[in-house]
Amino acid sequence: MSQPTPHQWRTVDIVVASVLAVAFGVVFWAWDALWNGPADAIPLPARGIIYGVWLVPAVLGPLVIRKPGAGVYTELVAALVSALLGTPWGLIVVLYGLFQGVAGEFAFALTGYRVWRWPVAVAGGALAGAAAALLDIVNYYPTYASDWKWAYTGLLVASSAVIAGGGGWTLTRALAQTGVLDRFASGRERVAV
Amino acid sequence: MRFAPPVADATAPLARRNPVAKLAAAAVLSLALVSTLDPVTPALALAAELALLPLFGMRHRELARRAWPLLVSALGVVVGLVLFAGERTGEVLVPLGPVTVTTGVLTGALALGLRVFAVALPGVIVFATTDPTDLADALVQQLKAPPRFAIGALAAFRLLPLLGDEWEMLTMARRARGVDPGRNPVARLRLFASTAFALLVGAIRRGTRLAVAMDARGFGSAGLTSQTGEPSRPRRTTARPQRFGRADTVLVLGAVALSGTVLMLSIAVGAFRPLLS
Repeated sequence: MSQPTPHQWRTVDIVVASVLAVAFGVVFWAWDALWNGPADAIPLPARGIIYGVWLVPAVLGPLVIRKPGAGVYTELVAALVSALLGTPWGLIVVLYGLFQGVAGEFAFALTGYRVWRWPVAVAGGALAGAAAALLDIVNYYPTYASDWKWAYTGLLVASSAVIAGGGGWTLTRALAQTGVLDRFASGRERVAV
Repeated sequence: MRFAPPVADATAPLARRNPVAKLAAAAVLSLALVSTLDPVTPALALAAELALLPLFGMRHRELARRAWPLLVSALGVVVGLVLFAGERTGEVLVPLGPVTVTTGVLTGALALGLRVFAVALPGVIVFATTDPTDLADALVQQLKAPPRFAIGALAAFRLLPLLGDEWEMLTMARRARGVDPGRNPVARLRLFASTAFALLVGAIRRGTRLAVAMDARGFGSAGLTSQTGEPSRPRRTTARPQRFGRADTVLVLGAVALSGTVLMLSIAVGAFRPLLS
């Protein structure tokens, strides 16, 4: 068996992307309960500042796996897992996962899957946040005032840029430092002590 | 961390249907409901969804347990609209300056609140009555999803109970070493974050080993090119066949018919308000 080309997925890429997705599916599920529970103390649109956690896999997947489709796959499977665990929003979260994954992946695709530095991650997070805001406004807040819609979109984009973009990048670095990503190009960039 | 087993009677007439058929039916109904902003359509759809629930072998109490957080969602949407409505048409009920409550605002709020429920319930019901393994098999066999990805995702999903055990082990190991955050909330949060990180590292390590084991059993050989340059695509058979029969087609067509009926009724009574107008 010959080596796969750089853009083909190896088995380890698929399984580790799936593991990340399942882990974040549980996080999504917990975040659903937080959003519809304790976080309700923060009124909308300000509650949007915690939104970014739902978009981490869209950035973390590409940063760790570095293959085309990693953002879409990781975010979509994470959404599917949260649905199987019982999200109150039902099937619509799968649609969200698809849109957010495509948006997050877009930033990496623009660089031709060659640049994996933090500015691209932040851009990916911001794009994913914008996609989520668009879906939310169409689905839940279609008749709200336009000022409200802009404020909500701005908060979601900022939250996603920081939490999903910056957080995803930091988490990838931390994982690489442990040596657990040694079978990935992302893990081989760590500084040997 | 323990996750609830399937909560519905798996032998119920609609719960037994092909997972892809169930998902398609739920998707059709949800999308039809997103298309309108009136309160009549979601109310009719909700009534139909609740009436069909016994056919999925699910009790109303079980559905309520899964869906009650939506109440908070719906209430938030309603209160938000009263405060931030785009237009305030109709008769003035409570004159409060910028947040004047009018009949138009109340109807709109009721519509959005009902919509949250009506759009979500079909999906909640379908996922509650679907086994993850059946779903992965049906996605591969009926929707032609790439098998390596579907089975890979299923393998990772099946690690969940193991991860629950590992979480307990990590927590106990830390306690045994004397790591105790006490009552300090910041210290608790830090310990939680570091335990979660350790769990993620362990999960990735387990996944990497799992991938080696799967490769050793020929899992990854499909789709890669062999040494002669010929694509090697071994003929694969399915271990757990999923059938898409006439009853499954009927379920999907039924969902289309139900969506059509609900939309027609709402147009007939003059309530229909398209999302994009």
